[in-house]
Amino acid sequence: MRGLLERIRHILTVDHPSPALKQSPTPIALIISLILIWTVPDLVITDGSWAIVGIGLVTIATVLSALFTWRSRYSGWAIVIPVIDFIGIGAFRAGTGGTASIFSAMIILPVVWVAAEKGRGYIALAGVGVAIALMLPYIFGVAQITDAGDLIRGFFSPVIFVFAAVIINELARQSRSQLASIRSLADEKERMLQRTFEYASQLEESESRYRAADRLFRGVWAAVTEQSVIGTDVTGLIDAWNPGATKMFGLTWRQAEGKRYVFDFHVPEELEVRARELNYPPGQTVLNPGFSALVETARLGDAESREWTYVRDDGSTFPVSLSVTKRTNEDGQTAGYLFVAADITQEREVSRLKDEFVGLISHELRTPLSSILGYLELMKDDDEHPLSDEQMQYLGVAERNAHRLLRLVGDLLFTAQVESGKFPLDSREVELETIVRAAVESARPGASAAGITLVEELPARSPVTHGDPVRLGQAFDNLISNALKFTPRGGTVTVSLTETEKDAVITVTDTGMGIAESELDQLFARFFRASTATRNAVPGVGLGLTITKAIVTAHHGEMDVQSEEGVGTQFSVILPLASVAISPS
Amino acid sequence: MTARIVIADDDADIRALVRISAVRAGFDVVAEVGDGDAAIAAVHEFVPDLALLDVSMPGLSGIEVCTAVRADPALDSVRILLLSAAVGEASMASGLAAGATAYLSKPFSPRDLAASLIELLGEDAS
Repeated sequence: MRGLLERIRHILTVDHPSPALKQSPTPIALIISLILIWTVPDLVITDGSWAIVGIGLVTIATVLSALFTWRSRYSGWAIVIPVIDFIGIGAFRAGTGGTASIFSAMIILPVVWVAAEKGRGYIALAGVGVAIALMLPYIFGVAQITDAGDLIRGFFSPVIFVFAAVIINELARQSRSQLASIRSLADEKERMLQRTFEYASQLEESESRYRAADRLFRGVWAAVTEQSVIGTDVTGLIDAWNPGATKMFGLTWRQAEGKRYVFDFHVPEELEVRARELNYPPGQTVLNPGFSALVETARLGDAESREWTYVRDDGSTFPVSLSVTKRTNEDGQTAGYLFVAADITQEREVSRLKDEFVGLISHELRTPLSSILGYLELMKDDDEHPLSDEQMQYLGVAERNAHRLLRLVGDLLFTAQVESGKFPLDSREVELETIVRAAVESARPGASAAGITLVEELPARSPVTHGDPVRLGQAFDNLISNALKFTPRGGTVTVSLTETEKDAVITVTDTGMGIAESELDQLFARFFRASTATRNAVPGVGLGLTITKAIVTAHHGEMDVQSEEGVGTQFSVILPLASVAISPS
Repeated sequence: MTARIVIADDDADIRALVRISAVRAGFDVVAEVGDGDAAIAAVHEFVPDLALLDVSMPGLSGIEVCTAVRADPALDSVRILLLSAAVGEASMASGLAAGATAYLSKPFSPRDLAASLIELLGEDAS
């Protein structure tokens, strides 16, 4: 139904007249002519055959116009309709009196159609059409040219119609041009309207997003109750105060915003110490020079996180982990700072309890081991009651395992120290050659007993690094002891020390069972044991490499490992050189 | 004259181990106590050549005993050897700062203990 209405609208559209609409005056005029002939006695059909041909051709043209309108893909052929009309009207004119027919005026209808088409060529077509229509009676011998008047009529009338066609063609051209302009304007208006709608839609969407973001921000702002978020201007005057800050300090935002400075909540001595450390950086406030120290890192564009002490109005204090970041305005200029702080009182307490626990474990595990090892030694050293070889062997096993347990306790305690960040280093300039040689020598008896060749490749001139010789020795001991554990009898472990421009490189290479590539990145994790270790029942708990890595990292060094299963493993320790290298003593 | 030693450790097995090591090295163990207060009393009573104190004891710690002994000029001659199961140099430093003459970590070798005693007491050993 909708399609049908659309077609009817298309047919009746005036700015794009359809073939049917353009044709419609012709059959209507023909019908009026027939009615006049039927009703007016003086009007008669002089030649029925020509009249019928004329009516028939106009009817065919009308049917075609309907067809072309219905099937718009044939509309390019629509020009044949007025051409048929010319012939049809010419024939009807010949049948209704020829040159004397009062229906000659109908010729103007196809002339209008043809002349209104785009292009000057249609003027000529209109002229030819008019000439055919007017001359038809003469061409087919229905009428004879009897005098000069007939001849002149035969040429003069087409000329008049051609003039009319020229005018119509020009008017049509101007109309088309105006229509095109109007259409262009209408299109532009449509596009602008469309753009306006799009902008409105985008604006609505942006507003919706803004509202959602605003709701989210307000939600987050209200939800952060365990951390204080304080915003300030460049002088430290508070302009934002979240519920977390209210909870932390017992002050509402009304009591803080615009009335208090952020440094009011700091210990002045801490700010002073920090300012001294930073050599009193230039600040944006003269009210408290410590504020400049507080925001110095953030002012330079970096986020800073460090521990401070906050002070409440009642004088009570609590430790916080505080992050300071810069706020900027639309121009990218510093507009103030954001202070996000978490109360770490509980963390400190947990850390203290952990230290206590470590101390307790240290005491409780090492004391019984002292007894075990001490009494074993007394038994072995008892000259008055010497033990048999077999008994000495049994005691040796017990002693070895007690030492193993002691090492494990030591490793666990060390790991706990590393985790809590309380990993003491007694650093000084040390000759690595001495430490590496000592580690190799202490491992030599074990290597010899296991049937493994231990090779050392040490330089004549020792690289010097800044470090703790005991800890570094522990790291190298771990690596060599690991290599020996993972190398079968008959294998080789090579320990080398080399020097690059900036670093000393210690490598421990074995010809052992190797480590699967997929496990290499987990190797330094606590309690991780390689599948080759568990498969071959190599003793250990998986702390040695963790400790070694921690020691190397604490010395600003790096560790690297390369391994191939069944071929061997190479661990490298890269330590930064001290500024000068000295010759070994 | 045989050098005299007071031993203070809350662990009876360790006390016995220390005693055996000291006696084998030729020293005279005049008192064995299990807590800090008793250690101070024993040091005052016997004024030994050396007090061997465990750092972690019930009541007063070995370091507190050490501080108390060092605070008494009458006990200036008493050398103090601290025994501790704690690890790390901080622990040793605090012991030495309290006035201890030497510091030995647990677990210790009886041989090393005897060597330390001989080193500290010198020719006082018999």
